[in-house]
Amino acid sequence: MDVRLERLSKSFGTNLVLKSLDLTFPERKFVTLLGPSGCGKTTLLRLIAGLERASEGQIFFGERRVDHLTPGDRNIAMVFQSYALYPTMDVAANIGYGLKVRGIPRPERTEKVGVVARVLEIAHLLARKPRALSGGQRQRVALGRAMARKPDIFLMDEPLSNLDAKLRATMRGELKRFHLDLETTSIYVTHDQLEAMTMSDLVAVMDQGIVQQYATPEEVYDRPANLFVAGFIGSPPMNFAEVELATEADAPVLRLAGRTIPAPAQFDLTAAPNRLVLGIRPQDVRIAAAGDPRAIPGTVWMTELIGSERLIEVEIAPKLRITAEVKSEIRAELNAPAAVAFDAAKLHLFDPQTGRALPRRA
Amino acid sequence: MTAKEVAGRIALYALLAAVTFLVCFPLIWAFFTSMKPKDEIFLWPPTLWPETWTLANYRALLEGKDAYFQAGAASGTAVPPSAFFLDWFINSVIVTIGTTIISTVVSTLAAYSLTRFRFPGQRSVPYLALIGYMVPSIIFVFPMFLVMVELRLTDTLLSLILGYVCITLPFCMWLMWAFFRGVPIEIEEAALVDGASRLRVFWEIVLPTAWPGIVAAAIFTLIVSWNDYLFGRVFMNSMENLPLTVGVMHFFDGTHVDWGLMMASSVLMTVPMALLFMALQRHLVAGFGAGAVKG
Ligand SMILES: Nc1ncnc2c1ncn2[C@@H]1O[C@H](COP(=O)(O)OP(=O)(O)OP(=O)(O)O)[C@@H](O)[C@H]1O
Ligand SMILES: [Mg+2]
Repeated sequence: MDVRLERLSKSFGTNLVLKSLDLTFPERKFVTLLGPSGCGKTTLLRLIAGLERASEGQIFFGERRVDHLTPGDRNIAMVFQSYALYPTMDVAANIGYGLKVRGIPRPERTEKVGVVARVLEIAHLLARKPRALSGGQRQRVALGRAMARKPDIFLMDEPLSNLDAKLRATMRGELKRFHLDLETTSIYVTHDQLEAMTMSDLVAVMDQGIVQQYATPEEVYDRPANLFVAGFIGSPPMNFAEVELATEADAPVLRLAGRTIPAPAQFDLTAAPNRLVLGIRPQDVRIAAAGDPRAIPGTVWMTELIGSERLIEVEIAPKLRITAEVKSEIRAELNAPAAVAFDAAKLHLFDPQTGRALPRRA
Repeated sequence: MTAKEVAGRIALYALLAAVTFLVCFPLIWAFFTSMKPKDEIFLWPPTLWPETWTLANYRALLEGKDAYFQAGAASGTAVPPSAFFLDWFINSVIVTIGTTIISTVVSTLAAYSLTRFRFPGQRSVPYLALIGYMVPSIIFVFPMFLVMVELRLTDTLLSLILGYVCITLPFCMWLMWAFFRGVPIEIEEAALVDGASRLRVFWEIVLPTAWPGIVAAAIFTLIVSWNDYLFGRVFMNSMENLPLTVGVMHFFDGTHVDWGLMMASSVLMTVPMALLFMALQRHLVAGFGAGAVKG
């Protein structure tokens, strides 16, 4: 069942948290709401769940308008960030509670709980109370509670954020598997871009109550719609530099730190202002030989080893530094001369006034 | 264990034994005294262990006043105070149970609404209640007596119940408020999403989680209403309406004290409370809300 939001707004007092969202979550897709802390992700999820009332706008599940329905009438399941297990009930009762509320008789309930527990590999924990479980086990119980009921919509609010890094990596894969098995529409909130990129069919990048870009993970990464998305997605963050658009020998060029580089062909520059913001991901920056005519010279400001990669920060003009992510074998002395080079095809260009990416050629 | 640790252990247990003895000695003394015949109570030097054991004191307390009326002493003047003991006991039980039910139910509901719904004064009410509890009850008792006179409730058990509710409710509410604040709202929301109605969420999720708090509030109320003397002394006057605490003072008639009856009453007053405590103790810690979220 798809979920459709129409001009959905939410304010707490005078604080406008969600600003007239129009968004469709397609049937059976795994959609991630990604954004910095406080951007309204949880609020949006709670609106869809019915735990919060919209100030304006409408919510549809398929053709059915649901924003006047109680959470129980929406047939959703939700995994809370804190898991929110019922502390006085054992694991079996936790998983089966939704079925019990819906009047499913005990034998059938026990059987369904058993099936879910086997899938999640928690069958040996059914008689335990939540306080006797580890974080990962609680997490599974919370998932089990959501799965037992065959919900139409599966909502998850940062379900992995309390787990350690290793378990988180395992659970990412498992969650994706459950989504495929359940065949429900899943909406997943996170501020971890790795989770968003690895798990989602679609990512909605949010900031300040507005969806900044809504696209596939590849698209969001390769063609960020604006400066916010470009800076938020990717680690280490994208390098930005102000450039001037000029024409040399009838060809458009960009002037960066006193050097001239050919303008990237993928952008339509006809309506572009002559001051632009150039973006380049550290992964797309090379450290070039000092004499390379197409490279931009500078001095090494900082280096940092991150596992098999090394980050080298090169100062190419006062206060203007470009970070390159290169193989760790490449070494650089602090304050030594170095040059950075990049492929024009990997460049991103933004209008500094609006923050939007320049239009791309078809 | 090293020798030092062993010595430490021994010292600790010795201390605990000493404290336990100090606390229990009056009870033990009361018990043995209640089993002695009158002439043995005042033996000098005093003995702990009764030479002759007797249940006369208990018999006097438990036979009830009907025996006297049936025996023809219909005027009632000859009925000794001990004959009213059963009435007093029943009065105290009724008042204590009534107070405990009202105080815990009302304070639980009030505290829940204080933590879960928004309304003016939501923040200050629990603190005001606590301040109210800090005022000594002797300040309340006479104004309340006047109110009871107006309501024509003096010398009724209801007046005692109302009085005790007034002094226990604020603290119970504060206690439950502090408790509910620790119950994460997410578990209620999870239950709403699971399809439960608000009432069902309260009944099946909130109450079981809050159970240790409710037991603590109930125990507090039990102690206050079972042990109170002041309200019973001021509000009540007929012999058969007194609570235990006030009633047993009649074993002391200005010229002599009937220590045998006094001690037997003490034992009978202490035993039900002690049993209740043993039964409730485990609820105080069991099932506490840990493990519901995070951790
Ligand atoms: N019940 C509330 N009353 C008032 N303001 C609220 C309430 N809930 C959320 N807000 C505000 O709404 C904004 C968005 O909050 P929200 O919880 O949706 O953020 P989030 O994107 O989930 O952040 P995080 O990643 O930290 O969980 C915040 O500024 C927050 O202070
Ligand atoms: Mg959140």
